[in-house]
Amino acid sequence: MADSRVQIQTTRFGSLSVPEAACYAFPEGILGFPGLTRYALFDNPGGGPLKWLQCLEDPALAFVCCDPALFVPGYRVAVHREDLQGLSLERVEDGHVLVILVIAKVPSESTANLLGPVVLNVPARLGKQLVLSDSEHSSRHPLFSATKA
Amino acid sequence: MLVLSRQKDESIMIGDGIRITVVDVRGDKVRLGITAPKDVKVFRAELYEEIQRQNREALQPAPEDVDKLKDLLG
Repeated sequence: MADSRVQIQTTRFGSLSVPEAACYAFPEGILGFPGLTRYALFDNPGGGPLKWLQCLEDPALAFVCCDPALFVPGYRVAVHREDLQGLSLERVEDGHVLVILVIAKVPSESTANLLGPVVLNVPARLGKQLVLSDSEHSSRHPLFSATKA
Repeated sequence: MLVLSRQKDESIMIGDGIRITVVDVRGDKVRLGITAPKDVKVFRAELYEEIQRQNREALQPAPEDVDKLKDLLG
């Protein structure tokens, strides 16, 4: 079972085979895209640390995301108990946090949405986009410092 | 849109489970208390809209831009 794979349709990469274990249910969807509740997470086929969160119900609906530690060391998500319940998340170590990127035409101006992280319950294959209402995090955090040479 | 007048410490009910109470009124600022079931999400509207907006902007980036960012990351 660990090895079972599913064929998914993507606008970006055509038909792809991903492990079933990489398919997540998002019962509440991604904000702004209600009713679309199944997504697959896979590494960028072109390599590198970026990942794609691809909707299984709409080939054109896909987001690029990454581990926030890549750009924001020490980024922490204050998760409310009700959010954890929505994810059936009982152990912190089962959780995995991703942030969605807005990739700019000038790539060094790309930003990460730290205000609306995606939290996954990896063993349960459940996901949810949180809204960090009590957070000082930015919805458009620059990936690269403005002072970069 | 339904418009109701309420004074301080008065409430409105939305369905059986959601109660919104006017906690304080000071100048042009109103403080509201909200009691709702745990599965009802309550946010400031602008926060919710901002995340929706960012999600839409993030949607389906151009492949060449993703590759450029990847190259930048090394």
